[in-house]
Amino acid sequence: MLAQQLLNGVALGFTYVLIAIGLTMIYGVLKLLHFAHGVIYAVGVFAAMIGILYLNMNFIVACLFAMIIAAICGVAVERFAYRPLRNVHPITTLISGVGIAIFLESLFQVVFSSDPRAFPDTGMKVSVWKISESISITNVKLTIIVVGLVALVLLYAFLRWTKMGIAIQATAQDMRAASLMGVNVNRVVAITFMIGSAFAAIAGVLVAYDINSIYPTMGSVPGLKAFCVVVLGGLGSIPGTIIGGLILGIVESLSEGYLNGMIIDKDAIAFVILIIILLVKPSGLFGRKVEKV
Amino acid sequence: MDSFINPYYIDIIVFLFIYIILGLGLNLITGYAGQVSLGHAAFYGIGAYTSAILTVKFGVNTWLAIFLAIVITFILSAILGLPSLRVSEDFLAITTLGLGLIIQSIFKNAEITGGAYGLDMIPAPSLFGLEIIDLSYLGLVLVMLLLAIFIMKRMTQSRIGRAWMTIHEDETVAQSMGINTTYYKVLAFAIGGAFAGAAGALFAHKVSYISADSFGFTLSATILSMVVLGGLGKIRGTILGVSLLYLLPELFRVFDIQLFDMKYLDLYKMMLYGMIMVLVMRYRPKGIFGNTSLKKRKKNRSSAKKKELRDGEIIA
Amino acid sequence: MRSLLKIEGITKIFGGLTAVNDVSLTANQGEIIGLIGPNGAGKTTFFNILTGIYKPNAGRILFEDQLISGMKPFQIANQGFSRTFQNIRLLKEKSVLENVQVGMFRKTKAGLWASILALSSVKKEEQETIRKSLEILSLVGLDGMDEEISGSLSYGNQRRVEIARALVSEPKLLLLDEPTAGMNAEEVEEMSALIRKINANGTTVILIEHNVAMVVDLCDRLAVLDHGVKIADANPDEVIANPAVIEAYIGKDQVEEVSSFVEN
Repeated sequence: MLAQQLLNGVALGFTYVLIAIGLTMIYGVLKLLHFAHGVIYAVGVFAAMIGILYLNMNFIVACLFAMIIAAICGVAVERFAYRPLRNVHPITTLISGVGIAIFLESLFQVVFSSDPRAFPDTGMKVSVWKISESISITNVKLTIIVVGLVALVLLYAFLRWTKMGIAIQATAQDMRAASLMGVNVNRVVAITFMIGSAFAAIAGVLVAYDINSIYPTMGSVPGLKAFCVVVLGGLGSIPGTIIGGLILGIVESLSEGYLNGMIIDKDAIAFVILIIILLVKPSGLFGRKVEKV
Repeated sequence: MDSFINPYYIDIIVFLFIYIILGLGLNLITGYAGQVSLGHAAFYGIGAYTSAILTVKFGVNTWLAIFLAIVITFILSAILGLPSLRVSEDFLAITTLGLGLIIQSIFKNAEITGGAYGLDMIPAPSLFGLEIIDLSYLGLVLVMLLLAIFIMKRMTQSRIGRAWMTIHEDETVAQSMGINTTYYKVLAFAIGGAFAGAAGALFAHKVSYISADSFGFTLSATILSMVVLGGLGKIRGTILGVSLLYLLPELFRVFDIQLFDMKYLDLYKMMLYGMIMVLVMRYRPKGIFGNTSLKKRKKNRSSAKKKELRDGEIIA
Repeated sequence: MRSLLKIEGITKIFGGLTAVNDVSLTANQGEIIGLIGPNGAGKTTFFNILTGIYKPNAGRILFEDQLISGMKPFQIANQGFSRTFQNIRLLKEKSVLENVQVGMFRKTKAGLWASILALSSVKKEEQETIRKSLEILSLVGLDGMDEEISGSLSYGNQRRVEIARALVSEPKLLLLDEPTAGMNAEEVEEMSALIRKINANGTTVILIEHNVAMVVDLCDRLAVLDHGVKIADANPDEVIANPAVIEAYIGKDQVEEVSSFVEN
């Protein structure tokens, strides 16, 4: 039972990691909390749905399609809601981000109606792998874990060995210095939003496939939980985010198995963790301790 | 007299006034003290549930219950504001949002709040044996609103208001002036929360039935967008912003305008609110009612010079 | 002379970098002390330690024989510290008067209830705040400008507003961070006169400056920081003749310039 819950938690955790990576990178580069990230996640899911239903894509092509559409939307949100407000009081950007998130989510509900629908038929069968007597995993959950690992390896390679990856890291360290050294900051920001949005989209598609349900507001709770993951792991720290995401997935999964009749919903656990972390160690599990000036 | 006026219109005005009180509280926290709160609806809910539980489950006098609801939200907001103060303003938004979700989920699951079903049969207050409903309830809400505006005015024009203003603008400067920033931030949370608590209690005794659904993030965001539209840090702005955004969708209902599918009215409302937040921040960050008086405009004549200075500073 | 401020061996390390290294300094009642040194010498960091924004890694600070290092910035301010900032930090959209009124915060007491009820004591306090603020504005030479929006003022006048804000609470110690930065010769002269006037009222002043000629003329004592280390602390003439100082900071040409200035 415990091992089974742990395994489910790891799969769930990888979806949080994939969503939160984008938030962490965007925070790292722009020191901005991207409130519309959850909407981008939903954009990915609906793009995949449209791809499969109307454009006759197979599942893998639909996933890529979802990532591309989400990346475009992510960049568009940055252009429209964040870029005009760079270098002003952070409250302004924050409210703008919340506004665009609310707008897009409501627009989605008008366009696609609020009712949940099933994930379109992909021709793939859900199968269960038995690992041992009591532990099993569906091929979907296994896919989530594998995709998560592959995405992280690719991201690591990108940040480590490509010119753009290094530019992103430089910008995260010191935007002004990077820009003085000839880094095109707007391009760095755009690429960061693209990567983050694509990651969120793939997470969304896999989760929608796993729970076999699609609805316009499906991104809002994961989007907000991803913030908790970012704080838990330490702001702007990618390794911290990975561990933070896995911890949240496992904790949620365990709570489902062991704690029934709690006074708070399962979805609120992330925020309880968030508040405890803020009280005990505001810099997060892996954040550098910075002097607040 | 009640029969002369359509009670539906009275209700609209009552809810408008309640929203303004709620908005003033948020404006105090976010507009004056500069602490973004995305969980304001939770304090509204705490006020509503406190007053409802006290009257329904403990038979406390309605007036006393409303008073206690305000006191309790004041205290709880101060306590809940504390962890938020350890983070910078952007993370404060998430923390308050999280607090809002946690509190809402407690409303939904706890026994004393009636769980998912909620609480009903919440009594209306009475005075000299007369039940206060409809027009007289409007009177009560109006008195509370005027009181709220009065208190806001006095506070913001005092040295405490100057302390908030300084914290909002520059915390280091505030500290250097001897302002205990933590204390004044908590104070802003507590008073803003108490305003929300008062609004919540008034809401509960008006509608007589409450459930957790009324106190979610949607409401927090709605109120924030109303306050932002009117201008952060302006009492008049909140009154106008809330009135405009609250009454606009109501007009469609009252005049039965069928411009679009009414089924989606709430969603169109949210789209409007969201877009307003983006556009106001981009084009009129001080709100649409900001800086229009002649006196102020005269002072802005050298804005070109100001801009020059500001640009110079970024380079320096 | 009675010592007002005693700084004993403070050190501040950022990451692996020692910004301020074992610096001691004593300020006596009524002195004007100049703190000079090349860019990045740790002068502003030093001010930020004094005012409690940074906690020192080592050393202690006594103000009127009371330990203040470790206190929060607002507590230190309440001991009678006032400061200005290198990059003018005014509430730019507020009026000059409002900015100065903020400075009166620690001299006023009105609490929440008193303010809401507008008790007569509060009204009196507010009037006193305004009267005092206007008086200080006239002292710094900003008569009649109280209603201007502070961000729209000239650079020099913004500095004056900041000084007025620092002065209005009648501090025992005034810390000025580059009060003449960006000013022309005439404005520098006026600022010197203003600081003298403030000092004549009994306020002890420590200022960070780049304008060596001005501090030599103005200060009772000069302390020189270089790479976080105090390399000199004496009367101005002695300091500018000190070879270590010349090498670290001033440069020979400027010394001649300064001595000719002093002679005139």
